[in-house]
Amino acid sequence: MKRSTRYVDEARELGRYSDPPLLVLASLADGPKHGHAMIEDIFRMSGTRLGPGTLYGAIARLEREKLIEALPPDERRQPYRLTPQGLRVLRARISTLDHFARAGLRKLEAR
Amino acid sequence: MNPRAARALTALYPRAWRQRYRQEFEAFLEAHPSSLEGIANVAAWAIHERFRSLGDIPMDARQNSLTFTTFAGLAAFAAGVNFYWTVDDTPLALAMHGHGALLASWRLVQAGALALAAAAMLSSRMFVPMAREAFATRRRGVILLLAIPFCAAAALLVWLASASILIHSHWVPTPWDVAGDWAAPANWPPLAARWILGSISFAGMMGGLLATAISIRQAVARSELSRHGRSSFSAASVLLAGSVAAMTAGVISWGWFVQRYAPADFHVRNGGLLGSTNFASWAATLLVLLAAVAMAIQSFRSALSVRTEEPRA
Repeated sequence: MKRSTRYVDEARELGRYSDPPLLVLASLADGPKHGHAMIEDIFRMSGTRLGPGTLYGAIARLEREKLIEALPPDERRQPYRLTPQGLRVLRARISTLDHFARAGLRKLEAR
Repeated sequence: MNPRAARALTALYPRAWRQRYRQEFEAFLEAHPSSLEGIANVAAWAIHERFRSLGDIPMDARQNSLTFTTFAGLAAFAAGVNFYWTVDDTPLALAMHGHGALLASWRLVQAGALALAAAAMLSSRMFVPMAREAFATRRRGVILLLAIPFCAAAALLVWLASASILIHSHWVPTPWDVAGDWAAPANWPPLAARWILGSISFAGMMGGLLATAISIRQAVARSELSRHGRSSFSAASVLLAGSVAAMTAGVISWGWFVQRYAPADFHVRNGGLLGSTNFASWAATLLVLLAAVAMAIQSFRSALSVRTEEPRA
């Protein structure tokens, strides 16, 4: 119980620092990716095209928070993957968003 | 993007960031189509990373004290300049001659500014040996960091002078003469031109102050200050705190009295920073001064935690 509360708290903390880190986490949910693959995937997923500075700002932050980690480089490209902690934070955050979206839709349907 | 541009953009980031991400980020930028939006995005994030990285530099009590002293001094200087230009050549300046209390408040701010100059002189006793040592040991990084404030001031002066010459006007493009509530002299440029030029000057001033603050902090963090005893730091911070407190008290009482004696002039847009009312400009001065007081107190607290057995031989 304590553990899950901590992850929910971590997810809330994540929510405070804009969406790019969440988009990066979500992009890595189906496997490791390098920067360009992330940008394209995020664009397909959300319609948002992150700038290079924004993407690497998010990557640096997530790596500091140990939510993602670098894999051995592929030539000059650097792939990243979610850490187990990153996966838990992403799951908690997506669940919160899902709960929020469902509640919002219910309210809209009740109008 | 071509490799040279990618390298130049990556160089905007702090050293620690570059050590970790340089190779992959340059490769990423080279594969990324070049655009103004992309360049602006990278530049903005590089500035963000530079600010964030300030917290990563480990500093001892001496370095913290000197850094906070510098920050507080810069903030008080900026507030003082804003206050002076908000009042200068406006009906508020005339109102002061008719009301002794208003003039006394102004004089208190002036006295505080003089004490601030003395605190800056006292602090320079720590910066001069730092620069001398950097030259003696050929530490180019520290020399460059210490040169940034002078370069920023020179660049601003060159901009102000050249803009004034190019527009063939007696007006210097400061951000304090861009309001439309009063009749500007005939040989000044139109309001729209004053607004654009004044905004550029404002951006230059803010950029110069930020660059100065960042560079001083980094230079201090890379320098050895143990030759200076606790008294050097505490004396500078006490004098600084006193000067900033005097300026703050003067600005508060000035605001109180001007509201009483010349409220119409206080709330009109004829001199405030970037076309704001004089009141808004006064309030901005006060907020910055309060921040300076907080930083001066922090500087003093850091000075107190300098260990008494030092300085080392």
